[in-house]
Amino acid sequence: MFRRILLVSALLCALGLLAFAPVQAEDDMLSVAWPYQVPPTGHFNTFASGGITLGQYMDLHEPPLAVLMWATGEYEGMVAEEFGWDDDGNYVIKVADGYSWSDGSPISADDVMATFNIFRLRGDAVWANMTGIEKVDDHTVKFHMSAPSSLAERIILTTNLRPASVFGDIADRAAMMSPDDDGWNALLQELTEFRPETPVSGGPYTILPDTITEASLMLTLNPDGFAGGIQNYDMVQMWNGETEVVTPLVANAELHYITHGIPPTTEEDFANRGIDIVRSGMNNGPGLYVNHAVYPLNMVEVRQAIAHAINRVQNGFVSLGESGVAVEYMTGMSDGLSEAWLSDDTLDSLNTYDYNREGAAALLESVGFSRNDDGHWVDENGETLSFELTFPQEYADWSAAAENATAQLNDFGFDITARGVQFQQHPQDIYSSNFEMAIRNWGLGDPIPGRSYLQAYNRYNGQGEVAGEGGGAGMNFDNDVSFSGGMINVFDVSNASSQGTDAMAQAELVTHLAVSYNELLPAIPLWERYTNNALNRNFISVPDSSEAIFANFGGGADNWMTYLILTGVTAPADMDM
Amino acid sequence: MAGSPLLEALVSLPLDLLRGLVRFLRRLSTNKPGFVGFLGLLLYFFATFIMPGSVEFDNEPKLDQITGPIGSRIQLAVHRDNPQWDSLEALAGRTVGVVDQTGGPSFIEPYKEQFTVETYRWTSRRQGPGILAALTDLANQEIDALLIFSKTVSQVIDKQEDEELRGRFQDHILISNPSLGQPHLLGTDTQGRDIASHMVHGGQILILTALIGGVIGTLIALFFGSLSALVGGFIDKFFTALANLFLAIPQFILLVVLAGTIRFDSTLYLGVIIGFLIWPALLRAIRAQVLSLRERDFVEAARSLGLSMNHIIFREILPNMSSYVLINLIFSITIAMYFQIGLVVLGLAPISDYTWGVMIYFGRSRGTLYNQDGATMALAPVLAIALFQVCLVLFARAVEEVFDPRLRSAA
Amino acid sequence: MLNDQQPLATNRQLPATNMSLMAAQLYDSLLKIYRNYTVRVFLQAIITIWAVMTLTFVLVRLMPGNPVDVLVEQILTNEGISYQEAYERVAASFNIDSDATPLDQYFQWLGDLLRLDLGISITSPGTKVIDEIARFLPWTVFAVGSGLLISFVLGIFAGMPMAYYRGSKLDHILSFFSSFSTGVPNYIWGLLIIIVPGIAWRWFDIGALRGTYDAGLTPGLNAEFILSALEHAALPVFTYVIAILGTWMLSMKSSTTGVLNEDYVNVAEARGLKERTVISSYVGRNAALPLFTQLTISIGFVLSSGVVVEEIFVYWGIGHHLFQSITVRDYTSLQGVVLLLTAAIVFSNLFADLTYGLLDPRVRVSGEK
Repeated sequence: MFRRILLVSALLCALGLLAFAPVQAEDDMLSVAWPYQVPPTGHFNTFASGGITLGQYMDLHEPPLAVLMWATGEYEGMVAEEFGWDDDGNYVIKVADGYSWSDGSPISADDVMATFNIFRLRGDAVWANMTGIEKVDDHTVKFHMSAPSSLAERIILTTNLRPASVFGDIADRAAMMSPDDDGWNALLQELTEFRPETPVSGGPYTILPDTITEASLMLTLNPDGFAGGIQNYDMVQMWNGETEVVTPLVANAELHYITHGIPPTTEEDFANRGIDIVRSGMNNGPGLYVNHAVYPLNMVEVRQAIAHAINRVQNGFVSLGESGVAVEYMTGMSDGLSEAWLSDDTLDSLNTYDYNREGAAALLESVGFSRNDDGHWVDENGETLSFELTFPQEYADWSAAAENATAQLNDFGFDITARGVQFQQHPQDIYSSNFEMAIRNWGLGDPIPGRSYLQAYNRYNGQGEVAGEGGGAGMNFDNDVSFSGGMINVFDVSNASSQGTDAMAQAELVTHLAVSYNELLPAIPLWERYTNNALNRNFISVPDSSEAIFANFGGGADNWMTYLILTGVTAPADMDM
Repeated sequence: MAGSPLLEALVSLPLDLLRGLVRFLRRLSTNKPGFVGFLGLLLYFFATFIMPGSVEFDNEPKLDQITGPIGSRIQLAVHRDNPQWDSLEALAGRTVGVVDQTGGPSFIEPYKEQFTVETYRWTSRRQGPGILAALTDLANQEIDALLIFSKTVSQVIDKQEDEELRGRFQDHILISNPSLGQPHLLGTDTQGRDIASHMVHGGQILILTALIGGVIGTLIALFFGSLSALVGGFIDKFFTALANLFLAIPQFILLVVLAGTIRFDSTLYLGVIIGFLIWPALLRAIRAQVLSLRERDFVEAARSLGLSMNHIIFREILPNMSSYVLINLIFSITIAMYFQIGLVVLGLAPISDYTWGVMIYFGRSRGTLYNQDGATMALAPVLAIALFQVCLVLFARAVEEVFDPRLRSAA
Repeated sequence: MLNDQQPLATNRQLPATNMSLMAAQLYDSLLKIYRNYTVRVFLQAIITIWAVMTLTFVLVRLMPGNPVDVLVEQILTNEGISYQEAYERVAASFNIDSDATPLDQYFQWLGDLLRLDLGISITSPGTKVIDEIARFLPWTVFAVGSGLLISFVLGIFAGMPMAYYRGSKLDHILSFFSSFSTGVPNYIWGLLIIIVPGIAWRWFDIGALRGTYDAGLTPGLNAEFILSALEHAALPVFTYVIAILGTWMLSMKSSTTGVLNEDYVNVAEARGLKERTVISSYVGRNAALPLFTQLTISIGFVLSSGVVVEEIFVYWGIGHHLFQSITVRDYTSLQGVVLLLTAAIVFSNLFADLTYGLLDPRVRVSGEK
């Protein structure tokens, strides 16, 4: 036994000594983070589940065709140097010459063909409007469209290109088949089980397979790839993990930029350490959804009263600090999209549902409700306004919003019980109408305004049935609405508003959607989530947050950092400062 | 019927217990760690079951006090020309500024009549125009005093980036009374609410749930464990196998299923579920103990005297088991507590009451652990639970020693 | 207690045909095998595992959401395409055969299992479950195993003086420490270790210590790799040691206290044996015996005890894999891991039962009446 103790204590000492290895920081390396799975679960087939895509940093190894500038609504070409609709209503793109994949093959029209043929095999949404794809010459591809639409354009242009040298074989076979063929499913299975041995990159950086651990992976410069010639770093270190895991690394200045949503308290700690917090609107956030089959939540006055009775500024601030920005216009879109798409007259006419308890009380009284002796609101039959408000308890910001909204409404005289639900169960409860009030998301990080309404009118309204799962009517809102502007079907209008390429016609439909939403409040938006990216400017040099470039990036999928890397702007900070 | 040993046991059991209790307490006082543990448990009982009656649960968000440090409180700020205004009395009839949603308005509410109250509106910026406007007005002597939170003072005045503004604030503003409001003993949480008040209210349900879980687990184990050991045969085989099976079921997954499908109206139901999950290990311990008791001389003697099974169980075995059961009960309470906290911290248990476990969960998920000022939100309940467990363990060990005659003589 | 004699007797009276004779002989020999204690408990273990796995098969499918839903939700929140589109895309990327009923799946899975095939991960189609386990298991075994052994040895040596000097200041301090160690869960210890010495004091580089070994090294018997693996395991192992130590100390204390009062110790002392001999050969050995059984049993449970610790230190082992599989509802991976954990628990129990008699000659294996 004595020998064993000796061994063990020697081991302990060794462990202890090793643990105090000196801290070292690499200056010429870009240090960012995105969660991924390690092999064998993770792999290099970015078409299949489990692939190491690195989220928004996918742009670094599988470059996008173009990037959208939100402020102007224009696309800036990346791998695609020319793009646009031709006279026949087809979309044509021309791939820039002179770039090559890390395996040596040039980036060409073949890669576009391969990528989109595999999308067809997977059944991606982009093929809903496409009838075919045609290689015009080595660098030009023509997408045959059933109807031109700004949505299709966006999906095509924001596609990350994959190498034909890796996926070409499966893509070619898919191109020759139709989904009804016998071999189709087998081919799909072949695709999902396909495991490229090494990652092939067409962007400025390539994943080094040997460096993949659960802690981080390295990407090395790919000088011949897209934007490879203008980079300021030789290496990118990609840390792995979700917020809680990467937080200490940022605090310790080992990780210099994260896009993870960080809680306000952590934000405060970062600020104290001199780390910059960069904010931009994400065009979505939590809202208070109600089940329209539940009396009296089906009464518009009650919903409006709720909107008046909640101090949205407070709700946003306690939930997400400065990144929880109260919604002002209450149109179902973000305030940014409202201002961009609605006329000034329309904006002025909107009800902003300011925090106003007297106003809320007046609304309730207008439908015959009154306060009882305890100060609780009761309807004509003396029933209190008792509801259960559910929320996904794992979401720190939404749970805070729910907690706070409940407290405010109860203070006003409602009788609401908040209940946390396991986060994967919660949406299922909404789909199957198994709720009274709930915190779910409104809006969407998408520049096409009509798509902001997909959450309210499509996802949370009668959606379970369509997928054959769970079944149910969601929040039971009647999509045929009548409002001051007439009668419309809001779901059809929101779909129609993302079709076509005529901005004027789109704006009119969007105005209908916004005004009807503002009048009827099918769900009550609470606040808009802003990003709170932590950026350590002692290590990374990028333009000041006030510069115009930041106005160009709105949603989750479009990120200014990857754009600045692709355009060669991001650089190591001057360490002498 | 009158002679039934069951009835006899039922009558004499409470008396025995009472007598035992007195004896036990007398012996406990000689066991120092055990006595400390016992006092600690009494203290916990007082803090979590009596104190909530006199301390109000702070549920008012105060936007400028988010994660306030330990001991922070509302202060009185005045212009440097008037240092004598250091209390509300001294300010009678003057203009006092408050910023809404900071706790200032509710603080001033009872004294409203005595002053002219100027309310500033909070806006979404942290050091927002609301507070800045109020401070500027104070520096310009447009208001006479301002009720402001101590953390805000350091944040807005000392860390002000605009140098001119900072200079003006520092030149003109004086904290005349740094301890006006009640101090937040443990700081404030992510919504600016008093953590100490949450601590007082957060223990009761947690401890009750652990008690329920522990008692149910022990009762199941006691009943089926003794049954197995006494009856033997198929019953014994069945319950042993069942316990083994239960031990091997992945409880983590079982709990995800329960969390998703069962609707809890009260956290106390969680105690019942925990009770049904922790019995197998206990059952094996109790079965072994009964088996060994069965072979002891006095039971053999009773058996050879032809005494009935009832008599043997209730008069010979059970009394000799009581200390063992008590110790196991205490340990199963610690296990139930541990289990429950683990569930809540991992986000598997439904969150309906604001318990210590929920404080840890939210404290962790809302990032307070990485913020020196806010860490008490998670650390205070961790410490409270750990110390409660320490008291239980110390107490249980003392009970073990007090009841075991061999240990007593050695001490 | 089965009635052993009866069936044999009846069978011997009926030697009618060869078939029935053979059957009787088969039955006879099977019964003999069954009556062998080791074989019997082994069979029971297998049945337990089968029962647990069947239950697990049902349980995982009862969890809210399924692998498709989980990914659909992510897509819906981020991209806002319609539900059907999201559903179809995910179903395609998983390549799920939606025609198979759960019962079909069960028998398919059971059949594969008999051929020692754990199947293919759902959320990473094409990756074998067994490969995933092989990737993650060794690290947990290494870290938790060392933590368990170190804390066991330390606990035994700290528990003995507690019993010897019962009531002294040393006993009180150690008792308090061990109660505290027992009272604070391992994930809290882990977080504290990251936050206080890691971030506040900067004693070590938390980023560089993540993972199981340094990037670029080849796993194998080379000094560089072994050192790196030890270095990366240091924090998790330390956490496990701190968190488990108290339990061993308390157990050892109570066990030693019991032994100290046994007659043979008094006799040994009376015989004038050296104190050191008495402590090590008589007291220590006998007091530690029951703890070995406890150790064997706990081996089964510890594999799953480090879920959160592995997440905190980004030391990915089987606990992380379990949690990840639950999060994305990867049924096959999950079943694979649960099978492993169940087998570990059942067999360590079995091992404890079988070896207890070997360790302590006073105890006979129960059931051999």
